[in-house]
Amino acid sequence: MGAVENITGAGLHKPTHQPQIALLGNPNCGKTALFNRLTGSRQKVANYAGVTIERKEGHFTSPAGKPVRVLDLPGAYSLSPTTPDEAITRDVVGGLRPGDPRPDAIICVVDATNLRLNLRLVLEVKRLGLPMLLSLNMTDVAKKRGMLIDTVKLSQELGMPVVETIAVQHDGEKALLAAIDAMLPLPQATPQPLSAIDSVSVEETQREVRRILAAVSNDAADSGNLTEKIDNVVLHPVFGPIILAVLMFLIFQAVFTWAATPMEMITGGVEQLGAILTANMPDGHLKSLLVEGVIGGVGSVLVFLPQILILFFFILSLEDCGYLPRAAFLLDRMMGGVGLSGRAFIPLLSSFACAIPGVMAARTIQNPRDRLVTIMIAPLMTCSARLPVYALIIAAFIPEQQVWGILSLQGLVLFTLYFAGIISAMAVAWVMKRSMGSKTKQALLLELPSYHWPHLRNLAVSLWERAKIFLTRVGTIILTLMIILWFLSTFPGPPDNAIHPPIYYSLAGILGRGLEVIFAPIGFNWQICIALVPGMAAREVAVGALGTVYALSQSGDALASTLEPLIAHSWSMATALSLLAWYVFAPQCLSTLSVVKRETGGWRYPLLMAGYMFALAYGASFITYRVALLLGA
Amino acid sequence: MTLVPNLMTLDALAVGQSGTVLHITPLPADQMEDGVDLARRLMELGFVPGERIRMLKRGLPGGDPLAIRVGNATFALRRFEAALITIQPLT
Repeated sequence: MGAVENITGAGLHKPTHQPQIALLGNPNCGKTALFNRLTGSRQKVANYAGVTIERKEGHFTSPAGKPVRVLDLPGAYSLSPTTPDEAITRDVVGGLRPGDPRPDAIICVVDATNLRLNLRLVLEVKRLGLPMLLSLNMTDVAKKRGMLIDTVKLSQELGMPVVETIAVQHDGEKALLAAIDAMLPLPQATPQPLSAIDSVSVEETQREVRRILAAVSNDAADSGNLTEKIDNVVLHPVFGPIILAVLMFLIFQAVFTWAATPMEMITGGVEQLGAILTANMPDGHLKSLLVEGVIGGVGSVLVFLPQILILFFFILSLEDCGYLPRAAFLLDRMMGGVGLSGRAFIPLLSSFACAIPGVMAARTIQNPRDRLVTIMIAPLMTCSARLPVYALIIAAFIPEQQVWGILSLQGLVLFTLYFAGIISAMAVAWVMKRSMGSKTKQALLLELPSYHWPHLRNLAVSLWERAKIFLTRVGTIILTLMIILWFLSTFPGPPDNAIHPPIYYSLAGILGRGLEVIFAPIGFNWQICIALVPGMAAREVAVGALGTVYALSQSGDALASTLEPLIAHSWSMATALSLLAWYVFAPQCLSTLSVVKRETGGWRYPLLMAGYMFALAYGASFITYRVALLLGA
Repeated sequence: MTLVPNLMTLDALAVGQSGTVLHITPLPADQMEDGVDLARRLMELGFVPGERIRMLKRGLPGGDPLAIRVGNATFALRRFEAALITIQPLT
């Protein structure tokens, strides 16, 4: 494409340079929603070189037909950074990142309801001398609140075009597109070095913001708005924590009860597929590979998609409507008790979905020690990949009955397992913080943004992303591992005078029996030991692996769906509880360890993490198993 | 530092009470988080002399953290952060 442009452009003018525009703004200003509006699906999400900070780039064609590349910078309050996120934003607009050329122009996105905070960054960035455009976002909310802003005057005061946008509305980006067209081709700029932002003091800049605001807006009274009324309840010293606890509990109940029907449908479909293949294929290795390896293994993981989506639905909704920072506020004191900041709540809550985004979200914590401790305890939050394991064992061993008439016992056990993870995380954090012995005080400095309804389209897009990630994992890593496991579990074949099922004599069986020496004291049999090995690549694979192992241990048509009664028969209650305790700590997730290595820049912390989690898992399982045996389970 | 009787630091403000920011005290260098200038960040977020602020909520137990309204934004601060901000309460 570039070559064609060069040829047609030759002799007429210089080869066309596709302008690169950067979106810059405070956190919570609707910048990313606007980026989605502009680029639609034409975006590429990757990481900035050397760091795990998400780099979102996209492109679009302006109404006048000009191609434009656009970069969504991490949200920042200032170009004097206090977080790794803000440092990236500063470095990109300052042209300090070798891999990322300085943007040709900057679109400053500001929240129209909060210009007093947002405009300061605009004035700061303006000193860099790049062509700029102001996108006055959320103007619909501002109008509803009776805030009037004279955009013509604001444009004169700032010396840059000003357009109104509503990022969450269809066509809400129209004015911005027209303004971008009006800016092209971009004027030759003489960018200033980053030090230019300090040419005026912070106080002086704030005075300038207030002067401009007095000239362009009516500065509507800020009292009595809805957010404050909601906060009176949500942040209430007594009701606030109760609401938070009830909310968390409802989420875990919903994960079990809502998902039941779709899970039955998936199980039914998988069973039928297996039955069709069993009926129509000749006996042999290929049939065994497809039915026991692929369908048995992959199907038993696939069934957990509904539960994972329900969990993500709640986390994303709470994030979108602005509740998460409130939860951080409520928990700050408790987290402070073990030496963490309330800010750690958001990465830790994300870790309930998956530790990887959780570890990455820890970069919003300013203090490096706080950040490190948060990263180290993130995998103790029960991630969604552990949910399949819990769900399988709970369904097989915990009777389906009601407690106090309303709560399901199974949901209660699940809640206890999550709670055990949280308590041990707090204990580990406390020990780590004490051993570090830091004297500095940790700031909280957390914005509590206005509440708004979750935007359904954004929610649907994010959930689809999650489903895609999960299905891709199922289709790639998990499928591959299942096939490898099938081969290991099938060859070599049993001797003629075999008394055990064939898998007992296979490579996997030999490996499992070897590991059993280590794991027998905590009640694991060789079948579980085999499942733990592929479980290192992805925890939920353990369930698929058990599916394959037990399917191969049985005769012919035993499928994953029958795994539950199978383990209910062959494991003791003590073994089941021991395995549950093991998975509270579950030290085996290679992807988490590799992200921790990237985030902490070395092998020291991932190795420490694997070591301490293995020790905790073994210890907890040992105690659980022995106590359960004593109690006669 | 001795204060004129009418002056106080933000952490002592009662819930629902308003005040005007007078001064931000930089954190002593030995308590600073690696290179982060807290006083500067507070000013960047709007805690500048002359600005009206209001105490919205105090956490329990111990009245920590605090939710403070400044301009059209609300920020959660820990008490030691609020103690850097000298204010004149409005009665």
